[in-house]
Amino acid sequence: MIEMKDVSKIYENGAVALEHVNVEISKGEFVFIVGASGAGKSTFIRLLFREVLPSDGTLVVNGFDVVGMDHGDVPYLRRGLGVIFQDFRLLPDKTVFENVAFAMQVIEAPRRRIQHSVNAVLDIVGLRDKYKCFPSQLSGGEQQRVAIARAIVNNPALVIADEPTGNLDPETSWEIMDIFKRINGSGTTIVMATHDKHIVDTMKRRVIAIEDGHIVRDEAQGVYGYEV
Amino acid sequence: MKFSTIEYVIREVFFSFRRNSWMAIASVSTVAVSLFVFGMFLVIVMNMNKMIDTLESQVEISVYLEDSVAQAQIGRVEEKIASMQGIAEVRFIDRDTALARFRERLGEQQFLLDALGEKNPLPNGFEVRVHRPDMVKTAAAAIGQIEGVEVVKYGQDVVEHLFDITRLIRIFGVALMFLLAGATLFIISNTIRLTVIARRKEIAIMKYVGATDWFIRWPFLLEGVFLGCIGGLVAAAVLWGAYGMITAKVYETLAFFPLIPAHPFLLYILLVILVCGVLIGALGSTISLKRFLKA
Ligand SMILES: Nc1ncnc2c1ncn2[C@@H]1O[C@H](COP(=O)(O)OP(=O)(O)OP(=O)(O)O)[C@@H](O)[C@H]1O
Ligand SMILES: [Mg+2]
Repeated sequence: MIEMKDVSKIYENGAVALEHVNVEISKGEFVFIVGASGAGKSTFIRLLFREVLPSDGTLVVNGFDVVGMDHGDVPYLRRGLGVIFQDFRLLPDKTVFENVAFAMQVIEAPRRRIQHSVNAVLDIVGLRDKYKCFPSQLSGGEQQRVAIARAIVNNPALVIADEPTGNLDPETSWEIMDIFKRINGSGTTIVMATHDKHIVDTMKRRVIAIEDGHIVRDEAQGVYGYEV
Repeated sequence: MKFSTIEYVIREVFFSFRRNSWMAIASVSTVAVSLFVFGMFLVIVMNMNKMIDTLESQVEISVYLEDSVAQAQIGRVEEKIASMQGIAEVRFIDRDTALARFRERLGEQQFLLDALGEKNPLPNGFEVRVHRPDMVKTAAAAIGQIEGVEVVKYGQDVVEHLFDITRLIRIFGVALMFLLAGATLFIISNTIRLTVIARRKEIAIMKYVGATDWFIRWPFLLEGVFLGCIGGLVAAAVLWGAYGMITAKVYETLAFFPLIPAHPFLLYILLVILVCGVLIGALGSTISLKRFLKA
């Protein structure tokens, strides 16, 4: 699913975010990316959906050669991915239903399928009855669930999340993690950057620890490993 | 493009007009003014060209004889001219006829001639017509060589004058055109930029979920095209009215001045204006989107 070989990322201002990183992630895995602030977690995530390009190395995501691909093919890479952020990034003037449907409209899905798929994913995240609400009428956890619904509505092979529970209280975070578990259970690969020691330690999934742009630990059933 | 996409694009354009109505009005006005001036120049230059054509095709050559040429010699000169190639007709105009005609042409200003008293300053001469306009120049030159001929005249002076004026208008027009086109592009791309900025979150999300550049671009492109198109329509309408009024006035007062009739000439101009509006609009939105679509 993800093959990162000797990847470095140096930003235009000279900041070295990642250096000689080698990672392989297989289909169906659930992977946590952990590390201190500024370690390079977000950079790792952003490389995966080609929001930034590696300065060096090769990267294959879901069969796409991220480095060598044409600009015009980027949308097709992204259609196979679902991306989730700490700050939800919902459109405030669209309802829950419209926010999720939006992801299908912009890839020109047929209307009947939109109706059907949106209802299905709203069921998965447990928001079917709030489909008419606007984001401002929802709690943070509910907003993040809408964002998750939007990320998975096009059936991505890989879901990428950058601190999806960063703005949520512990209990709500667990609700979110339950949804992730279920999505992962249906075969979707999940890569999630997080600061949440409790979640990582409890889930007992693969943990990749980054420190100053280097991978310092990669364990199949790891723990957070830092005092927070 | 799918039907649902077309619906989406149209809705987006409509919303953005409502959101930035003042900017939209400003853009439409700028486009309208620029295209009106552009159309005006087109109309003027094309009318000048037409006038030049008309004058050039007046195949008459005026030949003036030296005063010393005796009555008997006049016939010989006439024969010589008539025997040249391409000459259709040679008509003798004696000096009295010439004066009478001149008097007639002066109309109310005949008193100017009174100063001359009984003297007739005009020479004897011929009016020569050739078969084809392109023969005028050579024929005139050849006639000029004939003994006893003092001057040969045809539309040339006026035509060359008109050419100069037209060239000036053209240069001035093109320069002004560039300025106006720049201003128009500037304001349209800024209007579109406002929409882009208002929707940058949406654009970012569209990109995350895999919308193509073209899908993102369509509403903005259409918005620009709409602005340009409406501006073009306004300009076309005003130009249409203005040209109608001008032609009517000119026919009343300067009947000899051959303006090109509005139909179908003006239709072409209006079409050009509309197309220019559309192009400027599309270019304006492309400019303001370029930066946003790069990443
Ligand atoms: N757009 C950017 N331009 C320049 N430097 C950047 C940019 N984004 C990140 N960096 C730098 O790259 C390094 C890694 O940043 P990154 O955002 O990947 O860290 P992070 O692990 O996600 O941190 P956090 O836990 O605070 O989110 C930092 O030193 C940061 O300053
Ligand atoms: Mg980060």
